[in-house]
Amino acid sequence: MELFNAFAVSLQSVWNDSGFSAFTLGHGIMIAVGLLLLYMAFVKEFEPLLLGPIAFGCILANIPRTGFFDEMGVMLAINYGITNEIFPPLIFLGIGAMTDFSPLLARPSTLLLGAAAQIGVFVALMGAMLVGFDVKEAAAIGIIGGADGPTSIYLSMKLAPHLLGAIAVAAYSYMSLVPLIQPPIMKAMTSLEERQIEMKELRPVTKFERVVFPIVATIFISLLLPPIAALLGCLMLGNLFRESGVTDRLSDTAQNSLINIVTIFLGTGTGMTMSAESFLRADTLLIIGLGLVAFMGGTAGGLLFGKLMCKMTGGAINPLIGSAGVSAVPMAARVSQVVGMQAKPGNFLLMHAMGPNVAGVIGTAVAAGTMLAMLK
Amino acid sequence: MGHPVTTNPLIIMLINMTVVFIVLIALSFLIRLIHLVDPTAKKEEKVEEAPQVSAPPSAPAVTAPEPVIEEGIPEETIAVIFAAIAGYGYSSGQIHAIRPVYNKTWEHSGRYHFNND
Repeated sequence: MELFNAFAVSLQSVWNDSGFSAFTLGHGIMIAVGLLLLYMAFVKEFEPLLLGPIAFGCILANIPRTGFFDEMGVMLAINYGITNEIFPPLIFLGIGAMTDFSPLLARPSTLLLGAAAQIGVFVALMGAMLVGFDVKEAAAIGIIGGADGPTSIYLSMKLAPHLLGAIAVAAYSYMSLVPLIQPPIMKAMTSLEERQIEMKELRPVTKFERVVFPIVATIFISLLLPPIAALLGCLMLGNLFRESGVTDRLSDTAQNSLINIVTIFLGTGTGMTMSAESFLRADTLLIIGLGLVAFMGGTAGGLLFGKLMCKMTGGAINPLIGSAGVSAVPMAARVSQVVGMQAKPGNFLLMHAMGPNVAGVIGTAVAAGTMLAMLK
Repeated sequence: MGHPVTTNPLIIMLINMTVVFIVLIALSFLIRLIHLVDPTAKKEEKVEEAPQVSAPPSAPAVTAPEPVIEEGIPEETIAVIFAAIAGYGYSSGQIHAIRPVYNKTWEHSGRYHFNND
């Protein structure tokens, strides 16, 4: 009898300590959301490198009584990297090492397209304020339109940390949907003649320009907008590793091992913020809807400015490269290339679109820095 | 955190877009300045200019024919080929055709090793 009692008490204790006893419908829904995101990542291949860890982190975050954030452990350490904005600049280090700024250096006027595409950020900001978000939350939501995951995470941690999960999921989902979202807008806003414009070959860029640019850009932008010095500094440092020609090992580490490791932590940590309590709200649906508005607004802004530049240059600029100003490197540039090729086979736009594409990364960082300076 | 400077979304948009444009325009001027002061560019230009002096007058410009692209090649593959060609400094007009080449080199190699190992 004593044995039976001990067995029953132990079982009761195991049950009471288990996650099942505290499992709610909300946890179940969020685990289903995590499974859906896993399906999108691994079966549909929508940004699998990031959406995969985010989805798994979401599942982990909704298992009750894990005590992840009660005492120091791997999950708390990962969360520390998210809440203290450590991972986004490290991701930018890798992106910098992978980015070739030559198309931008060869045609600096394309920086304007990267600036124009930021209009989507502010259209979404206005929309978010109209539906009831406060100004800081609206700014964090608006930055989804920059199509830049690390910057979105960076800004939301600074301005609206409670919205991080929804903002990150919206940003990365829409980035993976760029080939579906952009082409209809591009075709609706441009004529066939405009899409058929062939652009002049880019001038060669010297090594001196490629090495000096990241240094000068860092000093200038960081002095002007210190809040984004970490993001932009890491982007340019990674690029300097790439272009210097004498730091191949550092460049290789930044664009392979380091970015892979940090991507795992960033994705998992972002997913860990998607607990049922913070994610299962009407706000999440609004954020996802506003993110789409931001993306479409950014694409339209870039295209409109591309059309303006086309008129001003007497048809030397194909307006299709304007849509690449929303960042999402290099997907948005590839979309410009594909739509251009559909209008005229052999119309090579990829390298021309890479200029506004990398300008968009800088533009989004500048927009984030300006909003931080104004709103923080 | 302090109080935001303003909460009017229109003012935020106007201020931010102005700052973004000013910063990126300034950056474009800096890029042009770097190009102007580039000490290595002059040498390269001189090297490039030298043979042009003795070059015969060029033929009248003709419109390059559109490349013949065989069906079934994915658009992304075509984009990569164009990018690779452009990376070597050639324009898209210099591509005459894109078609897959089927060779049996690997099959022959495998058969060779199978027979000789």
